[in-house]
Order: sequence, then structure tokens, then C-alpha cells
Amino acid sequence: MNRESYQGPQGPPPPSASSTATPRASDNAPKMLYNCADCGTENEIKPKEPLRCKECGHRIMYKQRTKRMVQFEAR
Amino acid sequence: MPSTFNTCEREKLFLNPSNKKFGIPELQKLVKPHIDSFNSLLEPPTKGILNYAVVDIDPVEIFDVRIPYNSPAQGNKLKVWIDEILISKPLLSEHVRASTMRKIYPAECRERLTTYAGKMNIKLCWKINDGNTNFETKYVGMAPIMVKSNRCNLQSLFPKQLIEHHEESEEMGGYFIVNGIEKVIRLLLVQRRNYAMAMIRPSLASRGASYTEYGVSIRCARQDQTTMTNVLHYLKNGNCMLRFSWRKQEYMIPVILIMKALVEINDKGIFEQLVQGEFSNTFLTDRVELMLQEFKSFGIQSKERCVSFLGEKFRVAFTLSPSYSHKQAGEHILKKVILVHLKHNRDKLNLLIFMVRKLYSLVAGECSPDNPDSPQNQEILLGGHLYGMLIKEKLGECLNAIRAVVTADIANDKPVDFNDKKYVANVFNRSNIEIGRKLAYFLATGNLTSSSGLDLMQTTGYTIVAEKLNFYRYISHFRCIHRGSFFTQMKTTTLIHLNQLIGQAGFICPVHTPDGEPCGLLNHLSHTCRIITTKPNVEMIPTILAEMGIIDRLTTGTRDTKTSFLCVQLDGKILGWCEPGHAQPIVNKLRLLKFEDEISIDLEIGYVPPSNGGQYPGIYLFSEQARMMRPVRYLANNEIDMVGSFEQVYMNIACLQKDIIKGVTTHIEIEPTSMLSILANLTPFSDYNQSPRNMYQCQMAKQTMGTPSTAIMHRTDNKLYRLQTGQTPIVRPVLHSTLGLDGFPNGTNAIVAVISYTGYDMEDAMIINKSAHERGFKYGTIYKSEIVSLDEFYESGIKHHFGLGEDATPSLREKLDNDGLPFIGARLKMGDPLCAYIDDTQGGKTIVKQYKGSEDAYVDQVRLLGDDLGIYEAQKVHIMLRIPRPPVIGDKFSSRHGQKGILSRLLPQVDMPFTESGMQPDIIINPHAFPSRMTIGMFVESLAGKCGALFGVAQDSTPFRFNEEFTAIDYFGEQLARAGYNYHGNEPMYSGITGEEFQADIYIGVVYYQRLRHMVSDKWQVRSTGPVHNLTMQPIGGRKRSGGIRFGEMERDSLLAHGMSFCLQDRLMNCSDFSQCHICRKCGSIFTSLSLKTHYQLNTNRTYKKHHIQCNICETSRWISLVKIPYAFRYLATELASMGVKIILKTKDD
Repeated sequence: MNRESYQGPQGPPPPSASSTATPRASDNAPKMLYNCADCGTENEIKPKEPLRCKECGHRIMYKQRTKRMVQFEAR
Repeated sequence: MPSTFNTCEREKLFLNPSNKKFGIPELQKLVKPHIDSFNSLLEPPTKGILNYAVVDIDPVEIFDVRIPYNSPAQGNKLKVWIDEILISKPLLSEHVRASTMRKIYPAECRERLTTYAGKMNIKLCWKINDGNTNFETKYVGMAPIMVKSNRCNLQSLFPKQLIEHHEESEEMGGYFIVNGIEKVIRLLLVQRRNYAMAMIRPSLASRGASYTEYGVSIRCARQDQTTMTNVLHYLKNGNCMLRFSWRKQEYMIPVILIMKALVEINDKGIFEQLVQGEFSNTFLTDRVELMLQEFKSFGIQSKERCVSFLGEKFRVAFTLSPSYSHKQAGEHILKKVILVHLKHNRDKLNLLIFMVRKLYSLVAGECSPDNPDSPQNQEILLGGHLYGMLIKEKLGECLNAIRAVVTADIANDKPVDFNDKKYVANVFNRSNIEIGRKLAYFLATGNLTSSSGLDLMQTTGYTIVAEKLNFYRYISHFRCIHRGSFFTQMKTTTLIHLNQLIGQAGFICPVHTPDGEPCGLLNHLSHTCRIITTKPNVEMIPTILAEMGIIDRLTTGTRDTKTSFLCVQLDGKILGWCEPGHAQPIVNKLRLLKFEDEISIDLEIGYVPPSNGGQYPGIYLFSEQARMMRPVRYLANNEIDMVGSFEQVYMNIACLQKDIIKGVTTHIEIEPTSMLSILANLTPFSDYNQSPRNMYQCQMAKQTMGTPSTAIMHRTDNKLYRLQTGQTPIVRPVLHSTLGLDGFPNGTNAIVAVISYTGYDMEDAMIINKSAHERGFKYGTIYKSEIVSLDEFYESGIKHHFGLGEDATPSLREKLDNDGLPFIGARLKMGDPLCAYIDDTQGGKTIVKQYKGSEDAYVDQVRLLGDDLGIYEAQKVHIMLRIPRPPVIGDKFSSRHGQKGILSRLLPQVDMPFTESGMQPDIIINPHAFPSRMTIGMFVESLAGKCGALFGVAQDSTPFRFNEEFTAIDYFGEQLARAGYNYHGNEPMYSGITGEEFQADIYIGVVYYQRLRHMVSDKWQVRSTGPVHNLTMQPIGGRKRSGGIRFGEMERDSLLAHGMSFCLQDRLMNCSDFSQCHICRKCGSIFTSLSLKTHYQLNTNRTYKKHHIQCNICETSRWISLVKIPYAFRYLATELASMGVKIILKTKDD
């Protein structure tokens, strides 16, 4: 699994100026990756795309753990 | 040392799960009754229950003209029947192309919250008039499939493959998955099949004026496991009526009519058969004569006329085809309702005669009634059998639905042409033959919607959720048997009395039943008890019996009346008669034959010996399904014999070797503990405890926070409790290892000191060492599921999409990912966004769902759930939240001896008492917990745990291993002494506060402690001000609504008794529904007549307005004053006024 660069606690870096078909704020954001619940393959699923594993056709996806730093105060 | 922890073996099982065998085969056996009964639906091929059921469903005959019942059939006849039923394994729909695997596994259904079901098809055959048979395969819906049954994709998988399919490594199955929830069909106790039971019940007399409370009831089972109960009623004049029910309606027929309809027999024949030579028994002969005489009034004699008479009277109730003649109808009815377990009419007649004789003998007081509450006269209604009955009935309804479509067409004057293939196909398509949804409804709700009632006593409560709260609770769901919800309403106490139910010994656990309302109604099978699910081959039994000298027909005529012959029955079929003196040798010989190949070991040989007013004597053999049997050692050949609950009552089974009486005892228990259920068996040294404590432990084990599953990552339960640091108990019975319960630890070993210290351990409170707590002692977690579903139905397509729209604020983007779902690992506080979706119907507005819980939770898992076909975007998400639950003051703990306690203090380690070796306890409990509860087992466990920990061995705690000669105290005491400890388990201890030695030595040892799921965080309820009720303005109740706790009448009384009237005023008035209102002291009314009146008053030099409240009745403001009354009282006055009742208050000046 390729590691993405560390993101600060402020949230994702400002969206890059990549253009996609529908101009929506969320589309410019980094792509959303999920793991197939059956075979574990990493799938990118765009908004409004059918939820199906491209490898095995399974119909459940697990969301990946966030790359953002999750930090809590100990007390 | 007898047993060790087997840590390495267990580790190996986990690291290298086998793909050839189960690590713990015993576990698989526990759910066998469920799975085997389901398997028998379609197994063996062509001989499954459903195959027999399909044959038994009557074909439907449909006519294309309107005809009254009594006219001869006209027009064309369409005969429709079902020839075959096929249930396939759960597979993806044919429309799915983009998938590498077509099989659906249970894990997917659990995660996607769908139903684990296989396609069900029927072969629908039809024939026009007497033409050729046509058939068509029709889809009748998706039938829910039992996990690990022969229709499940997991059936032949072993741990390695099971883990690959996201299951438990030792998955047992036995349940259905409906909407993602695991459902088990409850085992129910029902009347034993094919055995005529004598009853004395007041309800029997309620059938009519001449009916009495005497009856003989028989529950006859067909091959397809459906049953039909026939009851023989005794009338006041001595006559007998046979009752059966059809479509929930009861019918009575004189028994002589049925006898004559069954076989060509004259009155003399009936008399001889009934009296069987006992001519001196005038009680019997009088009544038989009377019956025969009364039947004369019908004026019918021959078999043919009797059958036709029956057919004529009942054909309407049975909605029989008009093409049947009365005679055919009558024969059909005899086949369908009279003693349906027998095929031949001669057998039916013989059994009827036996029943009549038994009934007269009951009335005469020669025999006692059979106890319907004793397992002797009970069997178990298995889930698979019930499921099969339901399928059968629904299939029958399908045929009726087809008929209804045609009838409707005729009624609406639509063209009806059976010869038109298109029309027939059209009829089939239009009729509602979807039964899959009905089955799923049954499993989801447990409600039985049935037109016949299926010969059962209840309509609800057939299924339960197999909660995975912890493994012990889970496994108990499969072993529990219910008496039926009919009995929960009965106010009898017979079921709680153990001594009345001696027949249950060894089959049903005497310990494992809840106390309180369902006590004795909800039982559990003993861990050795088996339920027979296949009928063995018994064809040779009649021959064998004949060889042993059984007379197949009694010679009538003159016979010595003193020796009445014993009836020999096999599954309710009379095989013959034998002399009382020959019975015992025959029974003994039969039992020995069970160990040879000729007769199955599962045959039950019930010999009821002749007695003076006891149970009706005879030899009753049972071979059929649904019986409880258990293994016992046969002394004659020292082999394992299976003993049933009917025969056991008349057998002599010794518990221990010393109980054997020469010449009397035939069997001996394999273990004295075989009568206990799994959970009762796991209570260490339970033979040392007072018995109710063992019952409490069985309940508490099921409420423990433990290890629910080893596949938590793939589970979607609403709520899961998990103990983070479970341990294997040092002190455990053999069964613990046999069942592999180390895979699912249910608590932790704790150093427990029994001492009254700091006062925080009073009244069942307990103290936990704060340092142990900080090390993670008893740390627990709750997993909660949040399901967000967007799939509302829109014809034009999907209108909601998970995600953040243009209008999402930066603060929302901070909390939610771009897909509108929370970041995994994020902490959610109350009111934080849980997920968001874009609503197209509102112009792309982002709608946010909030986290509603009051506790902080962490997002553990987010799964996006697709649709069945995999062609739409995600419309459902499952978010698993993790709520940490460290032990806090107020949480509940218990040992394994029914000794529960509440954590009252986390005492700093420095203040804890310590032993001479510097040991400090994890838990302190008060010595007062013992004298009244007498849980000596806990002392022994403490002792055993201590030396087990010292030597590093697991201690066997199976009950009944020690006795007076070989005491547990000595056994463990010597071990302790060898390790250099006090023989009795006491140790000198020093106060952690003063450092001084205590005057007494303190009992300290290792006890396995459970953390129960009742936690203060779920229970605390506090309020100062808050929501009030709309009508009364009083504070509302209920924790969820942040309401208060009721300060009731008894609480009020106690304040009164203390003379705390000011406090009372404050609590019940000022802090509750305090209100002020005006009252007219003259007319005594509080609300009717008030109005504002403005006065213009001249005062010295200027005018000004003055408002006065005045009573409109009295037209003056003179008597108005402001009073304090409860708001609820104003409400009461309003309610009364609305009914026209006026309230007048009398007032007094103060």
C-alpha cells in the first residue's frame, strides 16, 4: 500500500485545481478509497458511482482509516 | 496435576486453522438438533420432510362454471397439484454479471443487513379433465436458509475456509439471518406424538352440557412431521366422542360412527374388541352397550353408509371438490383427520379401541391421568420441523390462491378457458404464490399466521434473536426449550416444583432456569441430551416381537378376566398383546438387541408395568423424531445405551457406583454432572453451593461482558459488549476445555481478599485496587451500530447521495470526509455530525445526521452497503461506533457463584492491605457476603485458584469430584502447604493505611470474576429542572427523556411519618407542578367566570385606569384571590368540567 503524505491536523490540504466532469466542491478533493469487504482490493469510488468491487464484484466496501492525524487530549 | 491450560495447542489452532477438521468438534454437536431438523426437510433426496409434505397437499380441482356443491360436476375440470419443491443454495441473481463468485455467504447478509435466503421453486402440475399432465416450474420466493445446513454455502467448510469467509473459526450455525439479524427458532415442548394420553382437565368439560373432564388425547404425526390431535371425550352418560379440529374449528363425532366407517364391523365385533373378555367388568360392558345402543339412533349400519354419512356432513367444512362422491369425501376425511399417523384403517380401529379402553379405565379410576407437564409425555418441536410445516401450509394456500383467481374470473364473467395454454399460464402468474416473504416474516417476528393453526397452542413467540452478548448467552439460545407461551399465562406452580418433574432428570437442567416469572417454563437441555432427528429403520421390529411371543390378535370369548393383556405399540401402532408375566423378559431382550445392528440404539422401549391405579400399562416403543434421549451406561454389557424420557421413568439408573442395587439397577450415569446444562456445568464446585446461587450464576453468566465473537470486525450487531482483557479461568471444569471456551473468555482471574476494610465494601459493594484498574483490569468496550439508510423509493431514480454538497460549511468539512461519512478513528461528541447526504429533492442541499448519544464515541468502522445487484450507488451505510467503558464506581461485577457486587471505590494501591509476601488484592469483598448465602464453592474456588496460580496449572472444578473421604479442602490445602502457604488459605495481612498487622488472618485467593453488562453509564438518571408533561406540568419520567424518578405514594408516606412537611411541600408542589390561579371565594370556582374589568376611577384630582379581575357569575371582584394549587388539580377540574361536573372549592381565611 502506498503511503500518502502526512496531513496536518488542520484537515486536508487545499484542493488542487484538477478538473472533473461535474463542477462540485467535493469532486476536487482527493479521491476516496475503499477496501472491498471480500477480497480487500482498494477501490476508488466516485460520487454517484455504483458500489461494486472492480475486482470481484462484491457489494460491501470498508472505508479506509483517515490519513489525517487523529489526536486527542489524554485528559 | 490432572489438566493444564493447553495454551500451545490453542495457539496452534488459531495460527493454523485446519481445513480438514474442527478444532472443537464438541461445539458443533450442541446445535445439531437445529441443523439436522432443517436438513431433514430435503434430505435424504426424495425422502425429505418436504417431499412427504408435497405429496400430502391435496390437489385442487377447479371448474370453469359456477356449480353448487350438491349438483354433479359439470364443465371442464382443471386439477392443479404440486409435484416437487426445490430450494437452492443462496446465490446471486442471474442479472448480476460483474461478479467473480455467484455464491452468497452468510457474512455478506449480516453485513449488508439482508436475508440469507435461497431460491425456492415448485413444480406445478396441472391436468385438464383426464388429459395429459402438464407441468411448469414456478418461482415461489426466497426461502430463508439456516446457516450451516445442507442448503447453506458453509455446510462442509472447516475452520480455515470459515475464516476466509469471515466467520467464526468454529462457526456452528443453526440460525437464520433475516435482515442482518440472527434468528433462532425456539425449541418448544409439545405433547409426545403417537401416544394416547389420559387427561383429567376442567377445560374438557367446557365443550358442552354432557361433556365431562375426562379425555384421552393423542397427537398424531404424519411423515412430514405435521400433526393432528384427536381427543376422545367421555360424556356423562358413558358415551365417547372423538374431537378433531380443522381450520381452527372443532368437530365432534361419535366414536362408534368412526369405528364402523373405518372397517366393516358389526356391533358384536365392536363389543368383543372393546371388552376383550372382561365380561365381569360391568362398568365397561354397561358403557359399551350404551354406546352401541345410542348409535342405533343414526340408523346406519354398513361401512359404506357410515363413510357416506361422514362425507355428506363434512364435505362443506373441508371444501372438497364437487366431483367427489359422498363416499370418497368420507374416506378422504378419515385419511386426513383420524389418527393420521396410521396408514391402514384396521390399525386405526385397533388404536381407537385401545383409546376407548384407556378412557374407561381412567374414568373407572383404574389408571391415573398422564402428566402433561412431565417430559415423559413430551417431545420437542424442532425448528426445522416447524419451518417445514409452515412451508407445507403456505404451499397449500398457493393452490387455493390459484383457485381463487379462477373463481374471481368466473364471478366477473371473464372468459375462462382451460384449454387455452395462455389462460392457464396467466392464471398462475396472477395468483399470489410468493411464500418466501411469509417465511421471512415468520422468522423476523416469530408470529405464526396460519389458517390451520398447525396444531399448536400459540401464535407468537416462535423465534428469538441469537444475541451475541457473550458466547455463553449465545450458546444457551440454542439449548433453551420453552414450555410454550400458552403456559406463561397459567397460574400453576407445578412447573417450578422439581419433585413433580422427576422425568426430566438428565434431559432438562434443574439449575439452569430463570427465577421469577418464566421459572420452569424456560428450561435448558442438559449438555448430554440429544434430540433424535432421523427415524431409524424399524421394519423388522414386528417380526422380532412376534418371535418373542407376542400375540397379534386377542382371542375373544371366554377368558380369565384377572390377567389383562398388555398392549404393545410401536409409534402408536398396535403390534400385538403380551401376557404381563412375559413383558419384562421381552423388554430386556429388546434392549440387548439395541446393541446389535438389528435395532437402532435410538429406539425407546417404554415398559409401563401393571400397577394399582398407576399409569395405564403397556409396552410403548418409540422410534420417531423429536424425542429427547441421553447416553447412559448399560450395566449388562458396559456399553453406552440411549435412554429416552418416556422409558426413563420406569428404569433404575444409578447415579454413582455405590448406588447400584443388585438385580434392580440396570444402568448407571456416565457422569453425575450429565444432568446439568452447559452453563450450570461451568459453575466451579457448584455442588458446594446453596442451589439458588447456582441458578443466579447461570443468569449472570449470560449477562457478562465477555468475548462475543472472534470475528467482531465482520459483525453488525446493534450492540456488542466486549471485555478487553479476558482470561482463561485457572479453575475450570473439564467441559470448559471440551467446548473450547478459552476462545471466548468471559472474565478475569482476580486476587480476592475477603475482608471488611474501609467500610466501602458494605452491603455487597466491592473495592477494586486502583492500580489494577489503571493496568486495564476489567476494561470493557461497547460497539454500537448506527445505520443510515437513504433508500426511499423514487420512481425516477436515486434522489439522495452520500457526500458533502456545495453548501457544506468548512466546519462540517472538518468533521466529515468528502463522501459525507465520518473519519475513521474520529471522536464524536453529542451533536457532532455523523454523516451527511445531498438531497436532490431540496435542490442539492446537504443534510446532516447528528450523533445523538450522550457519551463520547469513536468511529470504529464505516461500511458502505450496496444493493443486491451491485448497480446502484451506496444508499445505506453502517457506522460502527466504539464507546470505551473503563470500570467506574457503580458498575456491576460478580464471581461465578451468584455473588454479585457493585464497585464502590477504586482504592489507591498504597492503601490496600498487603500480605507478608507483599501481595495486594485486586478486589476486596466483605465477609458478610457468605454466611447467609452459603456459597462454599467460592471459597473452594479461591483455594483452588490460589494453588493453580502457584503451580501454573489449571485446576479441575467439575462438581461431584470430591467427597467426604477425599475433601477439596485437604486436596488443595496440601498443595498450598507444599507451596509454603497456609493450609487453609488464610494469610496474615497488614493494613495499607497504618501498616499494622490485622488481628485475624485474611482469606485471600484467586477467584474468576465476571464484569456484568449493567453499568452506571447506561443507568444514571439525574435531573434538577427539565422537561415537564404537557397536561399536568409535572416532571416527565424516563431516563432517555432526561426525566425524573417518581416520588411515589410510599415515599410520600415516609416523609409524612418523619414530619417533614416543608420538604414535602417543596418536593411535591414547588419543584413539581406549582401554579397560581385566581379563585372566586364566593362561588368557589377556579376558572369559569373570570374576566378583566377596567375601572375608571376618580381619585382626588385625576382619573386613571385600574384593572380588576372579577367573577362573571358573582359580578364582583370582591371575592377574588390568588391561590397556589397544583397544576394537575387544574387539569382535573377541567376534565371534570368537560363532563359536566362542577368543582366548588370551599375556602377559609387564614
